[in-house]
Amino acid sequence: MTSAAALSAPAAAGPVPSATPLAVTAVGAVSAAGIGLQALGRAVVEGIAGHADPTGLSEESLPPRPVRVVPDLPVAELIGRKGTRHLDRTTKLALVACRLTLDTYPGRAGERSGVVLGTSTGSIRSSSEFSMETLRQERPYLVNPSLFPNTVMNCAAGQIAIRHGLHGVNATIAGGHLSGVQSLKYARNALRQGHADRILVGGVEEFCPQSAWGWHLSGALGVDVPVGEGAAMLMVEQEATAFDAGRPVLARILACETGYGPRGRLADALASVVTAALERCGRRPEEVGAVSYGATGLTGLERIEERGVRAALGGRTPGRGVRVKESVGECFGAAGVLQIAGLLGAWRHTAAPAGELALVTAVARDGNVGCAVLESGVLA
Amino acid sequence: MSERGARRVVVTGLGAVSSAGIGADEFTESIRAGRRTTSPVRSFDPSGFPHVHAGEVHDFEPRRWLERIDPAHWGRSGQFAASAARLAVQDAGLAADDLARTRAGSAMGTTSGESAVIEELVGAWAADGLKSLSPDVVGSVPAGRIAAAVNSELGLTGEALTLATACSASNYALGYAFDMVADGEAEYMLAGGADSLNRWAHAGFYRLGALAEEVCRPFDADRSGILTAEGGVALLLEPYERAVARGARIYAEVLGYSVNCDAEHMVHPDPTSIAACIRAAHRSAGVEPEQIDYICAHGTGTRTNDATEVAAVREVFGDRIPPISSIKSMIGHTMGAASGFGALICCRALYDGFLPPTAGVERTDPDLGPGVDPIPGRARDARPRIVENHGFAFGGNNAITILGRVA
Repeated sequence: MTSAAALSAPAAAGPVPSATPLAVTAVGAVSAAGIGLQALGRAVVEGIAGHADPTGLSEESLPPRPVRVVPDLPVAELIGRKGTRHLDRTTKLALVACRLTLDTYPGRAGERSGVVLGTSTGSIRSSSEFSMETLRQERPYLVNPSLFPNTVMNCAAGQIAIRHGLHGVNATIAGGHLSGVQSLKYARNALRQGHADRILVGGVEEFCPQSAWGWHLSGALGVDVPVGEGAAMLMVEQEATAFDAGRPVLARILACETGYGPRGRLADALASVVTAALERCGRRPEEVGAVSYGATGLTGLERIEERGVRAALGGRTPGRGVRVKESVGECFGAAGVLQIAGLLGAWRHTAAPAGELALVTAVARDGNVGCAVLESGVLA
Repeated sequence: MSERGARRVVVTGLGAVSSAGIGADEFTESIRAGRRTTSPVRSFDPSGFPHVHAGEVHDFEPRRWLERIDPAHWGRSGQFAASAARLAVQDAGLAADDLARTRAGSAMGTTSGESAVIEELVGAWAADGLKSLSPDVVGSVPAGRIAAAVNSELGLTGEALTLATACSASNYALGYAFDMVADGEAEYMLAGGADSLNRWAHAGFYRLGALAEEVCRPFDADRSGILTAEGGVALLLEPYERAVARGARIYAEVLGYSVNCDAEHMVHPDPTSIAACIRAAHRSAGVEPEQIDYICAHGTGTRTNDATEVAAVREVFGDRIPPISSIKSMIGHTMGAASGFGALICCRALYDGFLPPTAGVERTDPDLGPGVDPIPGRARDARPRIVENHGFAFGGNNAITILGRVA
């Protein structure tokens, strides 16, 4: 074996293959702004704060800070009554977003469809309550076995597949704030490899006292920034597939790039993935007309994100800035796809013409950075 | 409409943190000997549980293996993953700087993420309420910290992707990493998985009637279930051309993989869907069933799994079922890391020339039908050329990888 010294000049990294554009052909969202894309779009554009009363969502006391929650989750109307008794809120939110998306999808989902669902830690409420039962019961094993599947992070993705008969790739991406762009990148590869013909790309996060206290105590979120919840989903397919079927393209996904930066170099790392993403799709920084920001409200990271984006765009701040969290609160594993849904909702609400170029950015404290490049399509 | 990447992809480094030892050599030696390394749980208080055995990594000292990250800021699963990745890079004869200078990233699988961290917080909640949660510990909860730990430990600037597709997650990660290297999206990828023992899974599996009392014996007529387990595993992937150019030891080539979803039931696997996944994996690798020399089974040791798995294999292979064994008989079910440990032992089986055994098989279950060879007891000397590695999961998430010896 050669010594490491022989590698002092590692084989130069070859050219990265060009990215194939994907088409978004349906979108659904459920958040504190309400049910559906229209409610989200209006809230984002008009700066409306979402529903803020968490009554009924927690038997535990909640931390003294604002929250944003989904007012009335229409479970019975949208996913039926059958087999929902043991589902947790994470799975219900995901199923509702899925139903809303499929309802607007002009094609048929079916067997050759997949699911790529972003999360932070699954339902932290389900796993911690299940764990708590092992301490509280007379015997540690006297837990309710019907609730056990809820403690596993891929529960929601599995339930979506079961309810809609989706046999394609079924992946759960634990990306936290990066879930949106990481899920899109994962889905792009899965479509390219033929693991499905179309993929529901989503993200989900439920509001619960465990995570509310976690955010409150961690100091990671600004003191006045609400803890939120929600789910959003996009139907994503190869552009050619959508064209051939005559399905309107709501937006094109031109690139999604991810990277990892060392502590203290996060803005640079973000700037370089933004630059790489634009290069991958052959667009220039000055063409960017919108940014949907991911780090809104995150202590220290909000400025890093703005700095990184500005650096990549040559010091310019694009005219349209979407900050979905101002309406729906901090939604962690759902934040990334809500950023995209919020952008699409804003495009629709303002009747934006096709062809507006947008960045969707994300940055996390551990070092993860990401950027997707989208172009508005037919949103009327 | 599948588009295979242009580059061949090989495995040149292996890292393991497990009850069977730390490092791929210790792990492999233990498995070849058919040694059972499960034992009574010590990492949580198992009193009150009728069954207390598990595949625990006793006395794990992260500081011995980690060079860059401070274990105090990372959960047990992240520590396992980062340690295994560090070991894999060393095993590949690379300095971490070699990876940091190029496009290198990680894809790690998990079932329960940082479950030990969550249970530490549940302990605080039980004692003093949610307002007593420690901010430092809270920061270690997100499951995505597992791949992040790998990138931070090795200074990688590429993607850090944590796949939470439960017990097939490492195979999902391996398949994705394979595509990234084949396509030229990455020059190196660390692929694997990590999970920690936790009370809640122990309780859950016990209540489902799936937990063995003391011995996990897949394929045996008297098998009684799984043993929960923990650990971390990492495989270093790079393009074949560069591995040859740098004179690297090549354990195996990743030939292909497939993923699909039963979409039937959360906990009962479906043989038809698994058979479809096996066939798709063969197509992806460009191999025929008769070319498969060995199957590293999902082999959990429950009656349902083993019967379903053998039925699926029979559907594809007909009467000639390749030797099929389960390393879970020795290390237990390491959950999100399980198919990663399977991939690791497949690499060593191809490189060293053996078939891994199933420990504890006294009488192969006749209900599984004729022609099932679980390689009972100890490893068998052999020269497998192409092997198949199974991973099935909660939610019907199947993932199968195909690995081959590089001549």
